[in-house]
Amino acid sequence: MAALWGAFLGIVISVGASAAVFWGTHRLFGLVERRWAVVAAVAGVLVGAGAGAVAAGLRRCVAVEGSRNDECTPLLDGPSFGWINPTLMWIVIGAAVFGLAGAAVGVKRSPGGDRIATLQGRLRALTFVGPAMLFVALGLIVPLLRTIYLSLFDKAGESFRGLANYGEIFTNAQSVDLSGWAGIFGSRLFWGSLILFAIATLIAMSRGRSRGVRADVSASTVGIGLGGGLLLSFAVFANLRGTVMNNLWWVVAVTFLSTALGLLAAVIADRTKRESFAKSLIFLPMAISFVGAGIIWRFMYIARPPQKSQTGLLNAIWVWLGTLRPSSGGAWTAVAVLAAVTVLLTALCAFGVRRRQSAIAVGSAIAAIPLLWLIYRFLGPGVGGSALGPNDEPIAGTILFVQESPFNNVWLMVVLIWIQTGFAMVILSAAIKAVPADLIEAARVDGADERQVFFGVTLPTIVPTITVVMTAMIVLVMKVFDIVRVMTNGNFGTQVIANEMWQRSFTEFNLGLGSALAVVLFLGVVPVMGLNIRRMQRGE
Amino acid sequence: MKDHSNRRTRLRWARLLAIVLAFGLIAAACGSDDDGDAEEAPAATEAMADESMDDSMADESMDDSMDDESMDDSMDDDMSDDMMDLSGTKVTVFGPESSDEEAGALRDALDHFAAQTGIEVSYTGARDAADQINAQAAGGNPPDIFIFPQPGKLADFARDGHLIALPDDVIAAMNEHWTPAWTAFGDVDGTQYGIPNKSDLKSLVWYKPALFESKGYSVPGTWDELKALSAEMIANGDTPFCIGIESGPATGWTFTDWVEDLMLRFHTPAEYDAWVAGELAFSSAEVSGVFTEVLDLWNTPGMVFAAGGSIAATPFGDNGQPLVDNDCMMHRQASFYAAFIPEGTAFADGSADAVDTFYFPSVKGDQPVLGAGTLVGAFRDAPEVWEVMKYFASSEYAEVRQQAQTERKGGGLSGFLSAATNQDPSVYQPLEQSFLDILQNADVVRFDGSDLMPAEVGAGTFWTEGTAVVNGDKSVAEATQAIDDSWPQ
Amino acid sequence: MSSAAETAAAEKAPGPAGSGSAQRGRRGPDRVGRAVYRFLRSIPAWVLWLMVIVWSVPTGSLFLNSFRHRDDQRASGWWTSFTEGNWTLENYADVLSSGEQTGGLWQALLNSFAIAIPATIIPIAIAALAAYAFAWIPFRGREWLFIGTVSLLALPNQVALLPLLQMFAGGAHWTLPGTEIVVTLFPDFSLAGTATAVWLTHTAFALPFAIFLLHNYISTLPGELFEAARIDGADHFTIFWRIVVPLSVPALAAFAIFQFLWTWNDYLIALTMLGAAGENYPATIKIASMAGEFGLREHLLSAGAFVQAGVPMLVFFFLQRFFVRGLLAGSVKS
Repeated sequence: MAALWGAFLGIVISVGASAAVFWGTHRLFGLVERRWAVVAAVAGVLVGAGAGAVAAGLRRCVAVEGSRNDECTPLLDGPSFGWINPTLMWIVIGAAVFGLAGAAVGVKRSPGGDRIATLQGRLRALTFVGPAMLFVALGLIVPLLRTIYLSLFDKAGESFRGLANYGEIFTNAQSVDLSGWAGIFGSRLFWGSLILFAIATLIAMSRGRSRGVRADVSASTVGIGLGGGLLLSFAVFANLRGTVMNNLWWVVAVTFLSTALGLLAAVIADRTKRESFAKSLIFLPMAISFVGAGIIWRFMYIARPPQKSQTGLLNAIWVWLGTLRPSSGGAWTAVAVLAAVTVLLTALCAFGVRRRQSAIAVGSAIAAIPLLWLIYRFLGPGVGGSALGPNDEPIAGTILFVQESPFNNVWLMVVLIWIQTGFAMVILSAAIKAVPADLIEAARVDGADERQVFFGVTLPTIVPTITVVMTAMIVLVMKVFDIVRVMTNGNFGTQVIANEMWQRSFTEFNLGLGSALAVVLFLGVVPVMGLNIRRMQRGE
Repeated sequence: MKDHSNRRTRLRWARLLAIVLAFGLIAAACGSDDDGDAEEAPAATEAMADESMDDSMADESMDDSMDDESMDDSMDDDMSDDMMDLSGTKVTVFGPESSDEEAGALRDALDHFAAQTGIEVSYTGARDAADQINAQAAGGNPPDIFIFPQPGKLADFARDGHLIALPDDVIAAMNEHWTPAWTAFGDVDGTQYGIPNKSDLKSLVWYKPALFESKGYSVPGTWDELKALSAEMIANGDTPFCIGIESGPATGWTFTDWVEDLMLRFHTPAEYDAWVAGELAFSSAEVSGVFTEVLDLWNTPGMVFAAGGSIAATPFGDNGQPLVDNDCMMHRQASFYAAFIPEGTAFADGSADAVDTFYFPSVKGDQPVLGAGTLVGAFRDAPEVWEVMKYFASSEYAEVRQQAQTERKGGGLSGFLSAATNQDPSVYQPLEQSFLDILQNADVVRFDGSDLMPAEVGAGTFWTEGTAVVNGDKSVAEATQAIDDSWPQ
Repeated sequence: MSSAAETAAAEKAPGPAGSGSAQRGRRGPDRVGRAVYRFLRSIPAWVLWLMVIVWSVPTGSLFLNSFRHRDDQRASGWWTSFTEGNWTLENYADVLSSGEQTGGLWQALLNSFAIAIPATIIPIAIAALAAYAFAWIPFRGREWLFIGTVSLLALPNQVALLPLLQMFAGGAHWTLPGTEIVVTLFPDFSLAGTATAVWLTHTAFALPFAIFLLHNYISTLPGELFEAARIDGADHFTIFWRIVVPLSVPALAAFAIFQFLWTWNDYLIALTMLGAAGENYPATIKIASMAGEFGLREHLLSAGAFVQAGVPMLVFFFLQRFFVRGLLAGSVKS
């Protein structure tokens, strides 16, 4: 109970005190025009109290042999009995002297009306921005400068090394390893991306022909093109390895997929009946701590010895699929279901072609491809991880999701996508709700259907918010740390910069190298932020 | 006009530069200045005691705490003059043991001490304490006593001047209960900084005696016999070993244990010490030969029962179940592994399903023992801290803690073990007593090597590169070279 | 923006053609087509529910596992417990009763509140003020200050932990160059080990993102509103309090949700700032520590994760009500 009260009081006092300080300064600045002398006196008291506190804190310190701590004596002394102490005394003295001086100056002369207005405007801005700047300066800027400073020093932060730490990062083969570049052109992902690009181009051209221009870009073209780009990035990052490359892979994949899925969920949920229920469930992963998320995905990915039953859901499904031997009853059922769905998709595709709805036609065609492949696998070589042992007993061929490089990176990314989709969804959902209803009504009156309203009105209105979400996501993913630390700690080719920084600076306590890594991370993200903000400001 | 705006731009730049410079100076200063931090610690605890009602309101006490600096010197003097009455003083202990059983039993033992002396000792356990102590020490907020899981870390802190060397009376108290083989781990360059707190016996193989008997296997006495036994088991269709090295951020430590145990067996203790000290390279024939020996054994077809056939993917804690289920015959793991064996399993009581241990066989017949454990070191020089340290050194502490931990585990093996001499053996179960016999009577005891090495290697590349060779991502030559490269100069 | 507008124009064009074919459909053979089209329009709802299921399965797995014994969790998948039963509440009982000497989990949950509530309210208040100033109060250097502040979003928080801990534990001091005189820049308030230190840190770390998010929202509010208020004689403070805050409720609620979640689920900042002050540990550290040194009792983390996630879920349900459509449209009209 005492703890409860303590917590509650702490909260009330801290909130109340900040509100009081803000309100007080606000009132004070309101007085600037009328009572200049009062303002000058109060400003004097505040400055004086501050100066008194600093003066009382002045100490002379001498290093002591064999001890980490210097011996310090206060420069200014004073009486010390009861609740009176030197610090208090110097604060009071400072406040009194400066307050009187301020009042005297304020009474004697007051600046002209024009300057008062400027001064007042500036002080207003200061009241609004000041508290934030105070926290930012103490909590972020000083540590940032200290980090830059330390990054130029050795492990213990004692002897100057110049840029040697940075050199060490970039010459290290574990940071960037481009030796596998030739593998890009051999990967199926690469060819898949080329096919998608070709399809997107064809659609754009055919739409363009019917409209008399060379190419007409539509939502479906952009969608397929983005899919191709994603595949291409996977092909590139799976072959160019290293810590820095991993980080870029994370940024590309997680940012794109989380935002896209979050947007999808937000848009659909917006017109679904049980909206808040669906959104809560997609949001749930955000409410789970990283410790919990680590355990959750451990239960998804874990592989067990071939002879034992699987406890990881994904491997259990994979092994179960494997037990459906070709031409067994289970396999035929699977084929029948798949074939039915494929027929449905083919019909949809034909429908789309007839209606000139390229999105429907191409979408269903692309969706049918993996199904056809699955049917082929079920009829021919089989699906899933299971082989027959010497005595015809099934031996599970599990997937080691977390250990098999390079695609174990993707499985780790899945965890962050799973978490961050809720983030994108909530912010985008709020933005969709904020689209003015009259705009939508106006479009409806003009005869636009729901799809046209979305692409014509809603999407353009929320583009700035999408940019915000993607920017926040890029920054957040660039700093990804917890998932990698909990799940692999950088083993198996999954190292990322933030985890390496943590290992260097906290496990090994190499402050120089750890700080240099932090600076690299920071400088890597700053251009993204800078570009973005400039763009936003121009947009205003 | 143009000239005017130019001047203004220049002025603005100058101002910006000045601000950056000022911040830079502050940043530089904040890093290097630790004056009076440790001295302030007692003052801070005193101030907290006055208003123990609400710690979250400590910011309210800013006026009081500002003048504590000038007063704490005299206070320290008072204390050393008046040694007898320490009741009401406070000591904070911090460490990595955090589960209800371990931390609870540790607290029980400290409460027992507090009841005798009146010193209030609080223990805080946190899972990442071993990483966290770096930040706490550097940040000027260290606990009074830290339980170091690795002697290497204790040595780092001692050399950096964070730890206080033990006074003579504490060393004398420690020597009453600990043999030099164990106290040596707390000795840094000839000065004693640490006291052993807990001991683990690593050279153990868990197995089921009744199963061995029914299958006609006998406990191997030498490394060659162990290999022959494994081959026999494979021929009979049994899987000899359960092995898994996955352990979250610490993945790989099980592999390093095998390497250390075999280093101690294939080579002399002197060579082991040279290796741990960084004088014998990992890429040397001796060490890489042991790597190869371990990997050859593990990679023998049919040798290991592991997830998807992958040792690197198997959590080390998951090896208890298959051992009980007869999926494998043996599991080499330390004495604390008893806690990972499924509930309801009997230990060494002769029943059909009971699990027992045998000594991990030696190569040359010299019976070396690989041990591990924790040590306590002090960050504050005060009489109450030394009283607590003396208590940690005593066999009384070991007995009280062992009893409390056994009770909290609901009987059975406690997972705690102390190599302190003069303990009442009856507080231990029969199997634990056999561990103690091995620990206390061994001629050659060496501490877990990775715990002694610098953190870059011992908690870094030795684990990660070891995992890479086990997973087949790297060759032994590549991995050992990478470890050597990471050894701090 | 411009390409999106073009898309919009392009999408408009097939409108009449589409309605034409619908008219044709009424005549006969295309009735099937219309049915298919209706089915297609309902597909999105199915996609959403599919997504909901995929998103819930991992959490659901852990939820079911949290009711199973340790050895069961290790030996068989959670789906087998539907047939085998053997459920237990033991994990939850263990989690809730753990650490009785240090106040137990209830104390830790209280500590979590003592950290998360100020760490949510205070940054929102400070950041909303700053965001308003950056958007609507013209002052010199505004753009650069804004860019500088928001760029700090890129700073990895871990690097700021140690300097902040030093400041909380011993204050910030500066030796005048060339002398032995030390100036105290930030006095030693003995904050290390207190909840105050934790939420102060959270506040500093949250500001760049909060300012970024809220500025984005507040800067899109219609300027005419403010003009009208200013003509009526309102000053910035009144405008902020009477107009900006009520209109920004969805953005404030969205940020509040995330900030509360992050601070509630934070582990690293709290552990660093609290150090050995175990009596002030929030629930995250207490629960993670239950697993023990070698993860011996890791099975408790399953139950612990849900105990931990309960509060943020309630917060989300509560704050979700503030995402209301048309808040802005209505106020512009009135």
